[in-house]
Amino acid sequence: MRNIGRKLNRIIVALAAVSASAGAAAQAQTIAIQNARVYTMAGENAGRVDNGDVIIRDGVIAAIGQDLTAPEGATIINAEGRIVTPGVFAVWSQIGLAEIGLDEEANDASSKDGFDISAGLNAADAFNPASTLIAINRAGGVTRAVAAPEPGAKMFGGKGAIVNLSGRADSLVRADAVQSVAMGAPGLGYNGGTRLGNWAALREALDEARAYAANPSGFIMRPRADDWSISDLKALVPVAQGAQPLFVTANSVVDLRTLIKVKAQYGLNVIVLGGNEAHLIANELAAANIPVVIDPLMNLPSQFEDLAATQKNAAKLNAAGVTIAFFNPPSGSHNLRLLPQLAGNAVANGLPYDEALKALTVNPARMLGVAGRYGTLELGKAADVVIWDGDPLETSTRPIAVLIDGRVTSLKNRQTMLRDRYKDLSRGALPTAYRGAE
Amino acid sequence: MRIRIYAAATLAAIFAAAGCGQKEAASNDTANEASSEAAAADDKAPAGENKPGAQAKPSRWAADPFPSTYEPYPSVTTLIRGATVLTGAGERIDNGSVLIENGKIAGVGGADLAAPEGANVIDANGKWVTPGVIDIHSHLGDYPSPSTASTSDGNEATAPNTAQVWAEHSVWPQDAGFTRALAGGVTSLQILPGSANLFGGRTAILKNVPSRTVQGMKFPGAPYGLKMACGENPKRFYADKGGPSTRMGNFAGYRAAWIEAAAYKKKWEKYWDELDDWNSKSGAGDKNKKDGGEAKEPEAPTRDLKLETLAMALSGDITVNMHCYRADEMAQVIDMSREFGYKVSTFHHGVEAYKIADILAENGICAAVWADWWGFKLEAYDAIRENAAMIDAQPGSCTIIHSDDEYGIQRLNQEAGKAVGDGAHMGLEIPPERAIEWITLNPAKAMRIADRTGSLEAGKMADVVIWDRNPFSIYAKTEKVFIDGALLYDASDPARSPRMDFEIGQQGNGFVGGSGQ
Repeated sequence: MRNIGRKLNRIIVALAAVSASAGAAAQAQTIAIQNARVYTMAGENAGRVDNGDVIIRDGVIAAIGQDLTAPEGATIINAEGRIVTPGVFAVWSQIGLAEIGLDEEANDASSKDGFDISAGLNAADAFNPASTLIAINRAGGVTRAVAAPEPGAKMFGGKGAIVNLSGRADSLVRADAVQSVAMGAPGLGYNGGTRLGNWAALREALDEARAYAANPSGFIMRPRADDWSISDLKALVPVAQGAQPLFVTANSVVDLRTLIKVKAQYGLNVIVLGGNEAHLIANELAAANIPVVIDPLMNLPSQFEDLAATQKNAAKLNAAGVTIAFFNPPSGSHNLRLLPQLAGNAVANGLPYDEALKALTVNPARMLGVAGRYGTLELGKAADVVIWDGDPLETSTRPIAVLIDGRVTSLKNRQTMLRDRYKDLSRGALPTAYRGAE
Repeated sequence: MRIRIYAAATLAAIFAAAGCGQKEAASNDTANEASSEAAAADDKAPAGENKPGAQAKPSRWAADPFPSTYEPYPSVTTLIRGATVLTGAGERIDNGSVLIENGKIAGVGGADLAAPEGANVIDANGKWVTPGVIDIHSHLGDYPSPSTASTSDGNEATAPNTAQVWAEHSVWPQDAGFTRALAGGVTSLQILPGSANLFGGRTAILKNVPSRTVQGMKFPGAPYGLKMACGENPKRFYADKGGPSTRMGNFAGYRAAWIEAAAYKKKWEKYWDELDDWNSKSGAGDKNKKDGGEAKEPEAPTRDLKLETLAMALSGDITVNMHCYRADEMAQVIDMSREFGYKVSTFHHGVEAYKIADILAENGICAAVWADWWGFKLEAYDAIRENAAMIDAQPGSCTIIHSDDEYGIQRLNQEAGKAVGDGAHMGLEIPPERAIEWITLNPAKAMRIADRTGSLEAGKMADVVIWDRNPFSIYAKTEKVFIDGALLYDASDPARSPRMDFEIGQQGNGFVGGSGQ
């Protein structure tokens, strides 16, 4: 299916040199990617430009077109016809918060029962750019993500951040960017075990946040239920005012319709997380301008709230005009690099190819209100760029270069180092522990 | 509450197993299927006889109290031609043909393979044809959809050794997951108990053909497997319940059980020797002679289901399936298997198999792995994407891609495709005709059903998948799935898409996407 030829090796060698020099320079260099099939994700056909060039300067896209003249001193990368896209944007993850799922000390993704603060938790306080997940997923073409705590002790998850996957100290781009709440089955445990309780509790919290916002000092003085801490209410103020996106886990038609009502009633900015039955009311969701983040593989009646789950979900939502993006709870933050596989499955089940690429790149940026900066390759936007060695959605395709903010990043990571350490199992002069740790 | 339910189920199993009139104990439903199953009697060789290389002594453990009542559905003589055929036995045939007759593979060849008079001919130009996909690690039916407390039947997590439980007694044949797996080309699968325990219990090998009863799905004549687990899971489940709480505790637990099982095995073997001796002296079962005052008929030891399963693992009648992530633990398990004289068939989940791929190959042990799952627990931290390719690179190796997941089982082809891609990126070129073995012949070998299925070879079960393109592509979909020659899934024909009881009459009817998706 693939032929990793000598040409590819040449590009990799060239990039390694670029990467090494980039490490030394604080400023991103000027780079010209030439002879690529570029999907800018702006305009018709996902903005496809064949034989296209991309000029990157000062971390942003400086020019896109055919037969561009590379600026003097630019590092030139000949893509040799390969596909170039914006980096994959993971719209929902716990990256940088969870290193090992089942290891409490290495998992800050959600708090345990009994802890009082929920919406007020802030991913920015614990996001770890040195997490191994970052380099590993970057090597899979993921350049940007939401890093958000998940609902744990209470129904709200906490303040999520938008981060890049450069691994640099400044990779947390925007703190306090999103909030999340568990409705549907994930919410039942918090709210008396019913969906009625879920919605009543959400309304209650939003009302409290509004009351707090109207008169903070007066609110603190008055007697009140102690369900929500002041830090929770503070965190919920921008949500209640519709200024901050709220991820809402919901799958059933019933919950989705109630969400449409609650959104209208409070003027919320909501993003559905789950939406397994969303395709059944795709038109209503489109009319309500509610984007939906789905796992496009879901096709089993896993719970009673997703009896109508189908792999056609992506195609049907898209056809109705709903903005979609992908997530995959089973593989979670460790395998954000599998987002293209999800997209490929959606294509195999009817989603147009261009729309699948958008769901990986520009749609998340739109949902989060950052499309002015991320998600497309357009002049002045962040140069998050991936050169793929084949169709980005194919099982066998891997990135050969990943740029974040115009910098060529390293594709080396803990997994590639383990691979290289063990690829020759013959007994050497020293134990394997002496190999390939540099 | 839950424990009481489990205990009741176990008692029922003991009574059923202890009874001689197995079919009388079965429900009416089962009896109906059982009666028609006589036709397939030749498929029902005792487990021990399926092993490659005849045994000196036929196994006497091979009681089969819940016998398979599976009977193939009608097969139409069919010639698939013009396809790229991956035989599963290492061959790729471009413009190839596969002939299905009487539920068996009647021929595999090139364009010159002739269609018998009246055969249904499928022009599969541009399509790919492979053996049915086999998943060696599934929990369909014992962790079914919907996933509720009521249906959670996969882990008898009440003691670290529950070798006495049998996965088939938890399998709910109405799990919709079977139908989705079918649409993914899966024709046979092994259902395992979960991994909470050192000894989880017996596995069940099924044909992926919907049935009212589990017996109606059981792969005729397939040997049982034993599920065992290394590492974190038993530690986590039993640390506060009397142990084990450490890996050394795990090993002490395995070894104590093997010692007991060896003694149990010896006791039965002694009994059988005495019985043979008595039979020969008193005239081969001639009951009348017993009254002649000669030696008394030896008394059979009391059966113990737990020790029986373990003894059968020691005697090789049951395959050993060891859930083990870490390389160092796998190496110690191999030594333990030598200590007690049994053989590990497969290490399941071996995320660190690449570190000891040479040792696994030397010992003839298969490694069943995911393509890229990692990091959900510390023992899965060292997973690498090249694991399967690096296992495969060892001479004599046995690489298997498994799912352990109701979604992963629907696309084992994609999982293999990813692993092939990562192999290629490190210079290990694995051609499709070899990669297909990871999800067909190799699991069949590990489950000891490779003499019946797992490859497209004359005489084997006609378990065949027609894909719309190279199955390792992300866009590949199955078009037709044959099991024992019967067309049981057809993407273009809703009448050839099963719907489970749970799904019908529901919103979406379980098939909003159509054709099993």
